[in-house]
Amino acid sequence: MPEDRESAGRERREKLKRFLTDWQAVTGLVLVVLFFASAIFAPWIAPYDPNAMDIPARMSGPTWVHIAGTDQLGRDTFSRILHGGRVALYIAAIGVSASLAIGLVLGMIAGYGPRWLDNLLLLAFDAVRSLPAVILALATVALTGPSLTVVLAIVILTTIPSYGRVARTATLALRHTEFILAERSLGASTSRILFQHVMPNVIGPLLILAAMEVPVVVSIEAGLSFLGIGVLPPQASWGTILNEGYLVIRDAPWMVIAGGIPLILTTLGFTFLGEALRDIFDPRMGRGR
Amino acid sequence: MTIYLFKRFGLAAVVVMAVLLLLFSMLHMIPGNPAILALGTRATPEAIAEYSARMHLDEPVLKQFVYFLGSAVQGDLGEDVFSNRPVTAIIAERMGFSLALICTGMGWAVLLGVPLGCLAAVRPGSWLDRITGVFSVGTIAVPSFLVSIWALLLFSIQLRWLPAIGAGEPGNFADQLSHLVLPAFAIGLGWVGYLARMVRASMLEVMGEPYIRSARAFGLKPRRIVLGYALRVAILPTITLIGMGFGGLISSAVFAEIIFARPGIGKMIFDAVSDRNFPIVQGGVLVATGFYILVVLISDLLIAWLDPRVRSSL
Amino acid sequence: MKDLANNTLLNIEGLTLDFLTNRGRVKALRDIAFPVRKGRILGIVGESGSGKSTVLWSILGLLAGNAQVTAGRVDYGDKNLLTLNAEGLRALRGEEISVVFQDPMTSQIPVLPYAQQMSDILYRRSMSEADKRKAAVDMLRRVGIPDPESRVDAYPHEFSGGMRQRAGIAMSMLTGPNLLLADEPTTALDVTMEAQMIDLMRGLRDDFETTIVVVSHNLGLIAEMCDDVVVMYAGEVVETGEVHDIFHNARHPYTRALLECDPARITDVSRKLPVIPGDIPDLTASLSGCIFASRCQKALPACSTTAPPLVERGTGIARCHLLEGPLADPSWPPPAEVSTVMRDTGKTLEASVKDAKPLLEVRDLNVQFRTMGAMKSRLRGVERPFVDAVLDVSLDIRPSETLALVGESGSGKTTLGRTILNLQDAAGGSVRFEGNDIRNMSERRFKPLRRDLAMMFQDPVGSLSPRKSVRALITEPLLIHGAEGRNLDFEAERLADMVRLPRGFLSRYPHELSGGQARRVGVARALALNPRLIVADEPTAGLDVSVQGEILNLMADLQEEHGLSYLIITHNLPVVRHIADRIAIMYLGRIVEEGPAAEVFARPAHPYTRALVEGVPQPDPDRRRQNTGTIKGEVPSLLRRPKGCDFATRCPLARDACREAKPEHRQIAPDHRHACLFPLRYADQQIT
Repeated sequence: MPEDRESAGRERREKLKRFLTDWQAVTGLVLVVLFFASAIFAPWIAPYDPNAMDIPARMSGPTWVHIAGTDQLGRDTFSRILHGGRVALYIAAIGVSASLAIGLVLGMIAGYGPRWLDNLLLLAFDAVRSLPAVILALATVALTGPSLTVVLAIVILTTIPSYGRVARTATLALRHTEFILAERSLGASTSRILFQHVMPNVIGPLLILAAMEVPVVVSIEAGLSFLGIGVLPPQASWGTILNEGYLVIRDAPWMVIAGGIPLILTTLGFTFLGEALRDIFDPRMGRGR
Repeated sequence: MTIYLFKRFGLAAVVVMAVLLLLFSMLHMIPGNPAILALGTRATPEAIAEYSARMHLDEPVLKQFVYFLGSAVQGDLGEDVFSNRPVTAIIAERMGFSLALICTGMGWAVLLGVPLGCLAAVRPGSWLDRITGVFSVGTIAVPSFLVSIWALLLFSIQLRWLPAIGAGEPGNFADQLSHLVLPAFAIGLGWVGYLARMVRASMLEVMGEPYIRSARAFGLKPRRIVLGYALRVAILPTITLIGMGFGGLISSAVFAEIIFARPGIGKMIFDAVSDRNFPIVQGGVLVATGFYILVVLISDLLIAWLDPRVRSSL
Repeated sequence: MKDLANNTLLNIEGLTLDFLTNRGRVKALRDIAFPVRKGRILGIVGESGSGKSTVLWSILGLLAGNAQVTAGRVDYGDKNLLTLNAEGLRALRGEEISVVFQDPMTSQIPVLPYAQQMSDILYRRSMSEADKRKAAVDMLRRVGIPDPESRVDAYPHEFSGGMRQRAGIAMSMLTGPNLLLADEPTTALDVTMEAQMIDLMRGLRDDFETTIVVVSHNLGLIAEMCDDVVVMYAGEVVETGEVHDIFHNARHPYTRALLECDPARITDVSRKLPVIPGDIPDLTASLSGCIFASRCQKALPACSTTAPPLVERGTGIARCHLLEGPLADPSWPPPAEVSTVMRDTGKTLEASVKDAKPLLEVRDLNVQFRTMGAMKSRLRGVERPFVDAVLDVSLDIRPSETLALVGESGSGKTTLGRTILNLQDAAGGSVRFEGNDIRNMSERRFKPLRRDLAMMFQDPVGSLSPRKSVRALITEPLLIHGAEGRNLDFEAERLADMVRLPRGFLSRYPHELSGGQARRVGVARALALNPRLIVADEPTAGLDVSVQGEILNLMADLQEEHGLSYLIITHNLPVVRHIADRIAIMYLGRIVEEGPAAEVFARPAHPYTRALVEGVPQPDPDRRRQNTGTIKGEVPSLLRRPKGCDFATRCPLARDACREAKPEHRQIAPDHRHACLFPLRYADQQIT
């Protein structure tokens, strides 16, 4: 038994070593930690109140006082970016976990359940996917008016199909494997088979997908807020900062630059991390080095 | 094969139906008078009464859906609240701008991304592969609307190389083209990287298949193996990917049209949302969705045509 | 051997190769040396992990990316293939040296028709496209593809497995190569196809004067086909020689043990089969002495420290201390009758169960699979949109009895097993267990019966849930059926002991187990609830010859201890002969013959049974069949089930009456029945 522990431990250490020697993985991890830390601790890190107006200093370029400049109301862009990260984190955390959970369950049901249910769920996934996120958001907002809740609902609804499809494909592949048949031959119940034996084999790729979906979700929020149909001013979000910057793009170009950088860093961080995890845990899908 | 076509078209029709149902129920789930929603708050009581009668708003919901479906199938998507022009006419006017943008955007992405991915896969670890890798991650990481904004800032405002606003003078091809360059660049950029990456991954997977080893064991030329064998198989998942990718591309195009003030369908919907001009929103959403479903359908048929395994299983 | 030098087509000298893996450097091949003589068929034989295929790939320079050749040379003419540049290798590949691959399903590109694939191979020839096509058609005809003029335009997936392998052979022979390398060419095929392939390859060697190197784990194929043999173990050549010397005068203890383990060579029928205990050594560790020492029955202390001498004999070499030097043993090798491997000859239960009431009775069972959807079948006007996977099957299993269900792939044997266990719905008939009909029972009502009816699945590792520890896996049946008041840790250890699995393995995961160990876990899971009947699907699949005995012996012991009944589903006839009381032969979903094992082997009544029995290549070059092609063609698709006797399309004895109607089952002895209008024994009796 000590031998086994050792071999399992060696494998884990091996994976950790591979992770830590991959510059993309480490960069990704650092950026993701930065994203979480800056969003959580924004009120303590931010040099100014994100909504405090300083009219004399309005439209100031980057200086030592305002490192990312100020907007037309004299609010500090850097502080607004930090607080905007909280919106992004909120949407990402709730949106990704909700659609992951719903997609996982629906996908497993589609993959393991009867044929008609599979067809119905696939049709539902296809129908939802046929509505491009922004178009759906515009249509909804036309009826309900802009709000963060609408953004969250759109994010969850439009990303469920990608989890659902991955979970369904994986479940379908498992459905006829001998080990699932073996479980049935022992008399295991369907819920036991799904949650004890199918889920552990499906969840891995889904978690990696979730890491890759975080940037998508954050971009949707920023995009919708940019269009003015998400977070409403004066609340700071990366999208509203870009929106305000877009309006004064000729006179204060630093706002659209500063507003875009956190978006890129977050995307880059989660993409790197997701890919590194995928390479380590699922070498078949990997970059094939 | 005919049965497959039948089935596939049937499926597309069902998806369109499902989308219509979704749109319809959205309109009816929202509290408030649908007539006011449809006509806008400035509508007169007479107009509302007239609209309610015309849209059968006093009849059962299911019946209303049938009417809605019937007129949608006949190409009647209602009228613009302000100008009272048919929605279809307005869409027809704007469609061209969106189509040109989307096709140009995807076109240059495919023309650049696929060969890039292919070359990178042939020599993994080479400088070209590394540059492609960094380029892919770099471009995928930037959301397309941000590319649009930054491209506008850099090429139009700072460098003044290309026009910023509009779609160019009607009839002036060169001017229209110059207005197309930036938005098409912006929505395609991420796709170059994405496609390069996907083609590379797909090629590498295929290159590891036993039948590629067979081809090598028979001494075929590397060029023939890559282009005639590996790419022939690896392109299949890429086609599906491109088809599905049009959904994201439509979203990007909406942003690009708004940012560059290009009078396409996306801009039309956006403006209509601010005006609460619901017939226009509804028509625009329907057209965008229908276009996407059509593209996916075409890509599926293309696969069925290119892959003998799919062909014979039909 | 020296005088053969100018007769040598290919010479491998000191080939040493490592694989760089994340477990470390695997010393996969060490000092491999043997010549390949012109115009002969050389067989490389070994179990899994012996490196036999790696040798083949290193000849062609098509090794995996993590392989590293550290020493040696492979001389072909005046060229060393290991140092030849890419262009030089490419010029040889396909033209002078060609390959037949193991799995024709994955080794042929699915999106190109054979005409294209074959004309691609001829790209170096200055021939017109029409001539290339003609060459392809001619070669397809030569390998026995019917109607090659139109079939040349087919895609691989449109061919059956056997046809694909024929096409694969046609592709490799298209250029008339000097040297043909064949990597397990029949492993993916059924017994009746295997015989045809051996015949085909021998014929091609004679026609084209091609030298063939064939890699296989199948001793029968090697004995039947080869002139020279190389025996490999754990990355080393342990013995070489002409085929007769290897099979009748083996000098290395491993060769000897391997031969003695082959059930086809064991004449006396007993439940117990011989085994080579132990596992292949870890090739990442540092190696010294004789590589086989850890498993050798004759090993001396010095064997594991001192490298064995290389001993020459007339037709080859052997590496063993027993043959030469200070440790030489003049009594080695012992005469053929003397057993050199472990064999438990303990008393086996002579089941006198003939009169007992059957435990399981299957009557006229039918299973159908849908072939198309309801809409499609209506549109096409298909009346029966399904195929009969199992057709009117009846059989009995009595307590403590072993019934073997034998058939080729597609015979419906696995489906029948799953239907008995209610894992698959039946379309008609009955399944009675202890007198109660259990067919198509709802899972809720069936659940208590799962205690009595257990199943072992084909893939030893793949039938274990991959994220569960062995401990969780073997106690799971208890949890499912209520484990109140049981100490699960204790139960886990009890079960592990029962299947002779070291307790330390309880904390391992399936992928960390060898095939034999995983199989033991499967047996433990099947046994956990004290079942009455175990349905075992290919219990020896994926196991090496030297290991399969351990599992079969274990199953026999457990039968004796617990009075178990077995339904063993298999295609492996030599094994069946040793373990089964009765045999049922299946063909296209029907049972064509059923009877006592010894009787069916000795006097088969159905021509298909005879074809199966004779189809197994004998691991003895003296018993080579002159004409292996007793039956032609392949099992037809279920979609094209013949109208009359299912076997009539391939039967050498078929008459017109056979094509009219399905023959009824007839009883020829109280316990022996068949479904043939003109049974073999009937004919014999008339003549005598």
